[in-house]
Formats: sequence, C-alpha cells, structure tokens
Amino acid sequence: MKFDIIYPRWNKLEGQTTFTLPPHGPVVMAAALPDWVEPRFTDENVEDINFDTDAEFVGISMMLSTQVKRGWEIATEFRKRGKKVMFGGISTMLHAEETTQYGDSVFLGECEGRMEEVFADFKAGKLKPIYNYMNQLPDINLVGPARRDLYKRELYNHKGVQMVDLFHASRGCQFSCYPCAVSYLGGRKFRPRPIDRSIEELMTIDNNRLFIVDNSLAQNKQWEMDLFREMIPLKKKWISHTIEDDPKVLDLAAQAGAWYVYQAVFDTSDYIKERIKRYHDYGIGVEGTILLGLDNQTEDDIKRLIDFLLEIDLDLAEFTVLTPFPHTKVYDDLLRAGRIFDHDWNHYNAGKVVYTPKHMTAERLQELYNYAWDTFYKDESQEQKMFNLLTNVVLREMNEGTYVPRNRKLINKSFGNDVIR
Amino acid sequence: MKVSEKYFDQIFEYRGEWDLLSKCGLRIVETASKTYVIVTELYQDNPGSSVTTVAFSLCNQICEAFSLDKSRVEYVECAPSTNSKLSFYDSQFYRVTFNGTQPVYHQIEDLQLEINS
Repeated sequence: MKFDIIYPRWNKLEGQTTFTLPPHGPVVMAAALPDWVEPRFTDENVEDINFDTDAEFVGISMMLSTQVKRGWEIATEFRKRGKKVMFGGISTMLHAEETTQYGDSVFLGECEGRMEEVFADFKAGKLKPIYNYMNQLPDINLVGPARRDLYKRELYNHKGVQMVDLFHASRGCQFSCYPCAVSYLGGRKFRPRPIDRSIEELMTIDNNRLFIVDNSLAQNKQWEMDLFREMIPLKKKWISHTIEDDPKVLDLAAQAGAWYVYQAVFDTSDYIKERIKRYHDYGIGVEGTILLGLDNQTEDDIKRLIDFLLEIDLDLAEFTVLTPFPHTKVYDDLLRAGRIFDHDWNHYNAGKVVYTPKHMTAERLQELYNYAWDTFYKDESQEQKMFNLLTNVVLREMNEGTYVPRNRKLINKSFGNDVIR
Repeated sequence: MKVSEKYFDQIFEYRGEWDLLSKCGLRIVETASKTYVIVTELYQDNPGSSVTTVAFSLCNQICEAFSLDKSRVEYVECAPSTNSKLSFYDSQFYRVTFNGTQPVYHQIEDLQLEINS
C-alpha cells in the first residue's frame, strides 16, 4: 500500500543563512510502519508536492508551529481529491485540537508499535479521528533505525556539500524549562535508547556529519560517557545540544567527534565565559543560542548581552525572541496576563515578536532582535563563520582519513535549485 | 521548578487534554459567602496538561469531585514562584471567570486579604 509522507514548507527567517536539513521525524515514523506499507517522502521545503499522487493514504508530519497552517492547506487539497489524510508529529500534538478539523485522523504520541493498528483500521475503512497515545509512551527499544533511504539525498546538498544527518539517542527530558514544550511532548522522564541500538543505527548512516538532536545529552552522565565511548571508533563528527560540563565527559565527547554544540547564553556571567572556554579547550566549537525578550531584560541588558557575546569568542550565535508556544509555562504566563497579541501560528517562528514584552514595546524588541543579528555578524558574516567551522571539521576528517570531498556533480546546485553565480 | 507545598493542601489528579493524567495543587477555602477553589500549577510534578490549558474542565472536575455548589465557587489559579532561572515572576494569583468555556483572567493583588475580607 502506497503511503505518502508530506513535510510542509515554512517561511524561513528573513535575512538569515538557511540550510535545509533532512527532517528526522518523518523517517523515524516511517521506520514504525508495517512491512506491507510502502512509504514515500516529500519535503516541501525542497520539492513540490504531487497532489495527484497514486498513494492510497497521506500522512502529514509537522514539527514546527510555523508548519501547521500550511499542513492544514495541504490536507485540504488532498481531501478535495478524495484522499484520506492523517496528521502526526510534534506540532500536531501542540496544535492538536485545531488540527483535528483538517484531517481524517490525528495521531498523538509516539508511533512505535502503534502503526499496525492505524493502518489496519485504514484498510478496513475504520480510521479513527484520533489515535491518542499521549499517555502511553512506547518501549524505547522499538525506536529506529530511521528510514533514511526515503530521502532524495541530492536535495539536501549545498554546492556539493552534503548536509548533516539527524539522529537521536534518547527521548524525553527531565528538565521542564520555561520556554520549552519538550516535557509535554516527550514526557518528563529521560528515556535513553540502548547504546548498542544507537550505535547500530549510527553505523548505517552514510554521512560522516551528524546533528544529534536529543534535547540535552547532559541528563545522565554515565549513559552520556558510555555513548561517547562507543562512538569513538565510528569517527563521526557531530553537532549537539548541551554536553555535561565535566572534563571527563568533554574529553570523551571530543574523542567521539563533537564538532560544535548549541549552548544557551542567558547572561554575561563569568560562568558562561568559562563554560564556553572549556568547550574550546577540548576543540569543541560553540554556537550560542540567545533568547531575547525575557521579563528580566531591559534594552540595556540586551545590548550588554550582545557586547558580551562579541567578547567571549563564540563560533556562531543564533538569536531568537521569546515565543509562547502552546503547552509551555511561558504560554500560560503570558496568556493569563493578557500579553499575547498575535495568534497567527505562521508568526511563531522565534523571529517575530507576538507578545508584549515587560520592559519595552514589541516593536522595540523586534528592532533589538534585528540589531543583535546585525551586530554579531558585522565583522564576519554568518556564512563566513560557518565556513570556519566547516574548515575545522574538514581538517579533522582529513587527519582521520574520513574526509569525503564535495560532490562535483552538485557543485552548481543548492537544495535542488540551480546556483546563480 | 519544584513548587513549595505552602501553596496547597492536597494534590488533585485530573484528566488533562486528551485524557492525560495531570496533577495540580489544590486548596479549598470556605468563607461565609464563597468557596475559594485555588489550583496551583505543579510544573515538573504535573505529568500532563497545565491548569491553564484545561481551566474550564478542571474547574468542573473539582466541583464534581467535591460536590461544590458552582454558584458559590470563586475559581483561582495560582502560578507559584519557582525560582527558575528563566521565569521571573513572583507568585501570581488570578481569579478565573468563564466566557462559555474560555477562561478570562483577572489578577488578584492579595488573595489572603480578599479571602479574609
């Protein structure tokens, strides 16, 4: 049975370098499908959707709030053509109630071990409007390996350079951070995959460069160290979120191929400065993630923070404005206080101010957000800084004999489009 | 983000969105004219939907569980201080009224004063 999995496009943030990575959720979901289902994958960010497909069933996988409205449009188009449509994924769960209006079915929760039932129901003409597995997390042993064979690889390539592959070694998060919905989505319990299963999957990935998308690797030190130890022989190079701030862990991470990490920078403290220095001491790059618009930030605080970033030798910085995604504490706080003025989910891209900040107008915060990007990348562009990080990893790969030269056939292509020089 | 027990007398289990098992802190205070139902968000100790997400349903579930006379109920949401690095609020209390099923929030400056008055 043919099953088309669609990943809706979204508008990228204006003025910022965008690299389109192969999405993870859809291929993880595809791994959970029964053998008799033949999945095909279309990422609308890099290719057009064939609405006149011969697929019997269509799945729309959504990760971001900025995808949901487009996802609903896509579903409407397919349903006009008589196709049954099911929604799933993270932002389906965040926007579930609205999404039920646009699909024949909505799947909530994690899909492993559940798809036999869904597809059997579909085949029998008894598809349920809601499959609610929010309360029943599956056995973590059932996860993966993701169906990366579904990717059209040439579409995730910029001028011959293959984009990183996404991978996850755990689910859930024991933390419940102020702006984050992960604990609602994946549960408040950290659920590491068995290390041998993770390693097996890593070995199947035909890409030396990865993005380990786990919410935070710093949740169980022993597991983290065991994972890194087992990764060393693979000689992969990878990006991840925070790593435990412990010399033993950082040393193992570096040996396991840590390329650079995303590290939140909230203040101008020596702690942050030292934290970043410690990563660098182990040869690990740092992309600072800076959230603007928190209630403790005045205009001066934001400007001081940006000056600080220029002093602490970050390799990259990514600025976002506080965004009240549903099912987060910040959403509840701002909702109760009547401070959310924009409920258009297309604007929930972490680059547009949708609420009234405490110490300035929304317009002023928007200006400061633009100022942050412009100021940080004034002397060296984002693209140049990324190139520096790429050079760093290429040199390491050359030393280890794992370097794969760029694909000359795709040198004039960028994510499927011709490069205009 | 552990919530102090000073905000509630008991833990109330409720059905959250999509029937998620959810928990909040609960204090019920009877006065001569009103029954104050004060629900407190527990954050990391709430495995399901927040009290704000399901305000209308939660209010009904509590009234049903404790056989409360709804016409006397003053429903209050407490967003407790959690000393989180990123949350900058002191404890806040909101009187919640409902426009149909939609909650409408009115901040209360001093809940104790209001209850005593």
